[in-house]
Amino acid sequence: MGLFRLNKERIAENVFFLCTVFSAAAAISVFVFMVILGLPLFAKGEFFTLISGNWSPRQAMFGVYPMIIGTLSIAGLALLAAFPLSLGCACLIAVLSPKSFGRFLQNIVRLMTGIPTVIYGFVGIFLLVPLIRELFSSGSGFCILSASMMLTILISPTMILFFTDSLNAVPASYLNAADALGASKVQKLVYVMLPCAWKGILSGVILSGGRAIGDTLIALMIAGNAIHVPHSITDSARTLTAHIALVIAADYDSMEFKTIFTCGIILYGFTILLTIAIRMLESIGKNHE
Amino acid sequence: MTDHQIKIRIEGLSFSYQGLSILNNADAVFSENAISAIIGHSGAGKSTFLMILNRLWESTADARMSGSVQIRLNGRFSDIYDSAYSPEQLRRSVGMVFQMPNPLPMSIYRNIAFPLKLAGFKDKKIISEKAEQTLKQAYLWNEVKDRLEQDARKLSGGQQQRLCIARSLILQPEVLLLDEPASSLDAKSSAIIEELLINLKKSCTLIVVSHYMDQVARIADTVYELSDGKLKIRL
Amino acid sequence: MNKISEIIITGFCRMCGIILLASVFSILGYVVYKGIGVINISLIFGKTYVLDAILLKKQVFDGLFPAIAGTMMLVAISVLLAVPIGIAGGIYLAEYAKGVSRKIFGLFSDIMAGIPSIVIGLFGFSMTIFLNRYFSTRMYPCLFISSMCLALLVLPYIIRTTQAALESLPDNIRLTAIALGATKLQNIRYVMIPKSLPGIFSGIILAVGRCAEDTAVIMLTGVVASAGVPKSLFSHYEALPFYIYYISSQYTTPSEMLRGYGASVILLVICLFFFMLSFAIQRGLTYRSLYRA
Repeated sequence: MGLFRLNKERIAENVFFLCTVFSAAAAISVFVFMVILGLPLFAKGEFFTLISGNWSPRQAMFGVYPMIIGTLSIAGLALLAAFPLSLGCACLIAVLSPKSFGRFLQNIVRLMTGIPTVIYGFVGIFLLVPLIRELFSSGSGFCILSASMMLTILISPTMILFFTDSLNAVPASYLNAADALGASKVQKLVYVMLPCAWKGILSGVILSGGRAIGDTLIALMIAGNAIHVPHSITDSARTLTAHIALVIAADYDSMEFKTIFTCGIILYGFTILLTIAIRMLESIGKNHE
Repeated sequence: MTDHQIKIRIEGLSFSYQGLSILNNADAVFSENAISAIIGHSGAGKSTFLMILNRLWESTADARMSGSVQIRLNGRFSDIYDSAYSPEQLRRSVGMVFQMPNPLPMSIYRNIAFPLKLAGFKDKKIISEKAEQTLKQAYLWNEVKDRLEQDARKLSGGQQQRLCIARSLILQPEVLLLDEPASSLDAKSSAIIEELLINLKKSCTLIVVSHYMDQVARIADTVYELSDGKLKIRL
Repeated sequence: MNKISEIIITGFCRMCGIILLASVFSILGYVVYKGIGVINISLIFGKTYVLDAILLKKQVFDGLFPAIAGTMMLVAISVLLAVPIGIAGGIYLAEYAKGVSRKIFGLFSDIMAGIPSIVIGLFGFSMTIFLNRYFSTRMYPCLFISSMCLALLVLPYIIRTTQAALESLPDNIRLTAIALGATKLQNIRYVMIPKSLPGIFSGIILAVGRCAEDTAVIMLTGVVASAGVPKSLFSHYEALPFYIYYISSQYTTPSEMLRGYGASVILLVICLFFFMLSFAIQRGLTYRSLYRA
């Protein structure tokens, strides 16, 4: 009877273990498959040309550099706008506004994280793009600016929740000390809470940056998808993610098709960098305490 | 007791916190330049009472108050719940020390200079003079003068508490509220703090919550017991 | 800090709040305003009788029913695949893994969580090619492949929520059964999992919402604009989010555009419903946030 029990324990542990291994294996296989299918590109030793070269099919140049710039500019612009917006809202929720309004705002923000991305894209096309077209009277309105604006709204809710959690995690003893010494709400926020919460805030920025880089739909629907290196924010641009979605329908054996694997590998590379950055950030804190 | 000697006057004060009634139409006076102790069994609301005196309870909701609390500040009595003072200004004249020392996550020097920063002081020379003066007043100067840049959290419990007391003193408050200031400390540190408090009497009015009767006997000039919603004088 | 700086800072934060609220209300308001008028039976079922459509006796050609059905089947299969594996993985990470292996598996889980959905779709597509070449030339992108990929997409969510729910149990609950002689497995099965169920459920429901709204993965693994209700696991299918995307670029008449709004409203209601359900369940416990901050 005792032996049987032991076996059951062992079996269960192994089953749990296998499932964990499965998810790790999945992460690895994703990478491996992309490398295998993109192999012809590497075989010709062209990977770096691909990353840095321009796109010009007639000259048999399939560099994805324009798409990299597209991704970085749209995501970068969105982060630039979303960071102050989210920080302001988080401060509002955590400290500066009366409790009932803060809770209300936080619930609205939570609700926003449940809104499907495709709806942001859809509204972007019919509401935002015509607006931008009017405002700038040049171009079609499908451009980097429109896409970044929508992307800002997409990534802000998770950023806000992250920042708010970090601000709320400041130990109560510090808050009591500041209050008893006569600090106003803003003084408490700036001198005590923000310095304590910087790690969580930075993590939030990194995670949201990853989300912005990896988003497909908004760029696909709103950014215009022209393949060139954009020169201004009213230019149309294509991101790595949109490129994959668009080219998937092309002829399988063409070189053009294989470039989507290059994009996939680059995106995967970004993911790894982001994940390592977050892990390193977490371990900084551990050393201090 | 003449009006001249009264520092704090409480009239008809009723206070309930999270549904529990702590004070019921209570009256009391506290004299100037003296140590008044507040005793009572745990849960009676002694810490909450202190928070009434510096309006700190307003940071948490769920409480109701009626009656008047008048404190003589700058020579004149005023109801502290009237809008003559904002809560922040009030707390610069009515300081508070907590049961568990709560140094901020900064250096010793920046901890003690913090209230000056909040109040808008910019002159570095004045700040460092006041810091030294107050640290001496709190019997801490000799122990920390060579390591002012060290993180305040590295000090021992007794030193941290003296730092917190110094920090509350730097703006020269007229009233200092102390919530069981020595209860988390060992006997020796506790004795230092008691001596400190007695010395502070001449420049400050102190209200001390304590549940150590021997400590109360040693330092208090008047003893109040908080029970049944009232503050009763005990001899 | 002087009064002026304080006023500027407060003013800035207030402005941010206003901008955020204005954006979300205009986006949601616009969709609902345009789409609410279109919501009726014929939007969903076209000219086919409701009962005939539901019992699959007749195809619906000009309604959203196939897309809704496709989304539902997608979600059901994905969750069925992801939940057992995810819970098991979460249990292992919370209760069995120690030291280096815990860090490594945690790292892989984080990477998996961070992979863009389109890359997972690409993986699914690659898998299809692979299977087509080496196993059966009848293998094409289909419902099954999409579900598998969606399962991979939400697996990290479920692992993480399960792990967080288990780890947040206070020590005394953790040790109670052990002190009475229970084995590790018995403790997990009889005490810890039942206590963590709210957290686990809310993670599952979050995953459901995620599967319902995803477009990038399904675009690469088998969704099409019109295929009727999926006949088998290995056929093409329709889905609501893809319909919305497709309409946005391929609409030819104003009425088609309006149907896009109608579909958006329906998708919005479905996703928000699941989201609020998850939040309501989560409310009942003290629970550290989803992201290990």
